[in-house]
Amino acid sequence: MKSISLYVDRQSFLHRIDPISKIYYIVAAILVPILYPSLTVAFAVMVISLILLFLGKVIRQTLSVYGFVFLVLITVLIIQTLFYPGNETPVYRIGQVVLYREGFFYALTISFRVINIVTSFLILVFTTRSADLVESLVRKGLSPRFGYVIASVFQIVPEMMSAMGRITDAQRSRGMETEGKLSVRMKAFLPLIGPVVLSSLLNVKERALALEVRGFNAKGKKTFLNEEKNFLAPTAVQWSLLAVILIAIIWRIIQ
Amino acid sequence: MKRKSVWSFQFTTASLVLIPAAVGINYIGKLFAGVLKLPLWLDSIGTVLASMLAGPIIGAISGAINNIIYGLTMDPISFVYGITSVFIGLVAGVLAYKGWIGNWGKAVVAGLLVGLTAVIISTPLNVWFWGGQTGNFWGDALFAAVMANTHSLWLASFLDELVVDLVDKVLVVLVSYAIYKGLPHNILQLYTGDHHVESLDK
Repeated sequence: MKSISLYVDRQSFLHRIDPISKIYYIVAAILVPILYPSLTVAFAVMVISLILLFLGKVIRQTLSVYGFVFLVLITVLIIQTLFYPGNETPVYRIGQVVLYREGFFYALTISFRVINIVTSFLILVFTTRSADLVESLVRKGLSPRFGYVIASVFQIVPEMMSAMGRITDAQRSRGMETEGKLSVRMKAFLPLIGPVVLSSLLNVKERALALEVRGFNAKGKKTFLNEEKNFLAPTAVQWSLLAVILIAIIWRIIQ
Repeated sequence: MKRKSVWSFQFTTASLVLIPAAVGINYIGKLFAGVLKLPLWLDSIGTVLASMLAGPIIGAISGAINNIIYGLTMDPISFVYGITSVFIGLVAGVLAYKGWIGNWGKAVVAGLLVGLTAVIISTPLNVWFWGGQTGNFWGDALFAAVMANTHSLWLASFLDELVVDLVDKVLVVLVSYAIYKGLPHNILQLYTGDHHVESLDK
C-alpha cells in the first residue's frame, strides 16, 4: 500500500534530531522574520533553512512541493508588480504595461515569507517519521487517544485510496463516464465518493468496537511499546532555539 | 434521540475514530476532484459529515487534524489554513444541529453560510500570506482585474476567495447531505443515541 507520508529515509544528522526540536525550529523560522521585518533577515533565514534541507540530503525530494509554491509565487510577482496599491515608482515599461518598484519588493517579501514557512515545515516533514513525531508529542503530554487519532490517519488514508481505485474500476465497468464534459464529470462525483465514504464509516463502527474491547477508554497511565529513541542532543538544540527566539523578542522590545 | 445541547459532547470512541475517517474522506474528495478534473477542491466533505454526525466540536477537531495531516503529507501551507477548517466544522455542526441541513433547499443556504464563513476567515490569511491571492486560476484572474480597477487589495482578495469558496462549499454541503441521507441507521445510532445500549443483539 502506498504511504502518504513524505518522509525520506536517509542517514543525516537532521534525521537524528528529535521531532520536538524541529517544531521549535519552525517557530523560530516563522517568528524571527516577523520580529525583524526586513528582506535581509527573511533571506538569511531562508538560506539557513535551505542549507539544512541540503544537509538532510532531502532537497531533491522537496522539489515537487516547491513546484506548486513557485507557480503561485510567480503569479504573485506578476500581479503585485503591476497592480500593488502602493505602486509609485515605475521601473520598466513594456508598451502599455508598467512595472513598479514597490509592488516588486512587496512580492519579494511575500515570496521569502512563504518559502521560509514552507521550508521550515519541510525540514520536519521530510526528515521525521510520522510515528516518531506522534510518539514524541505523546511523551510531551499530548493525550494518547489523540495520538492514536493522528497516527491512524496515516493508516486509514492509504486504505481508503485503494478502496477508491477499486470503486472507480467497479463504477466504470458498469458503464459510468468519468471523462468528457464538465457536467458528466460532476455527475460522476457522487457515485464515486459515496461508496468509499459508506464503507469507511462502516469501518469506523468496527474500529470503535475493536478499540473498546481492547481497553481504549481504560483509565490509568499508558505505557509505550517502544523505548524512547536516542536523539541528537535534544535539550541543547531546544534551548539554543529558544534562546534565538528570546533574543529576537528582547531586541524587538528594546527597539 | 437528540443530544442535549449543541456543545455537549463526549470523546466517545466512536466519535474519536470518526476523526481519521473524516480526514480520509476529505482526502478522497480532493483526489476524486483531481481525477475528474473538476475546477473545485471538494476537500471538506469529511469535516462537514463529521459535524453532522457528531457535532461541531468533533467537526472542528476533524478540520484541524485534516489540515495538520495535509500539511505533513501534501503541502505545508495547509497549516496556515487550519483555522478556516476549524470554523467550517463549527459552523456546519451548529447548522446541522439547528436542523438547517434538513432538506435540499436548506442545505444550499447552509452551504452558502459555510462558504461565507470560510471566505471571511481565509481572506485575512490570504492577504497576510500570499498578498491576497488564492492560487486558483479563475479567482486570481478576477483578483488581478479588481486590483487593476479599484486598487483595493481587500476587496480583490475577498472576491477572489468568494468565487471559488462559495460554489465549493455549497457543493460540499450538498454532497454531504446526500451521503448523510443514505447512511444506514446503525451508523447514525453511534452518534445520536444516549450510549446506553441494553440489548445484547442488534
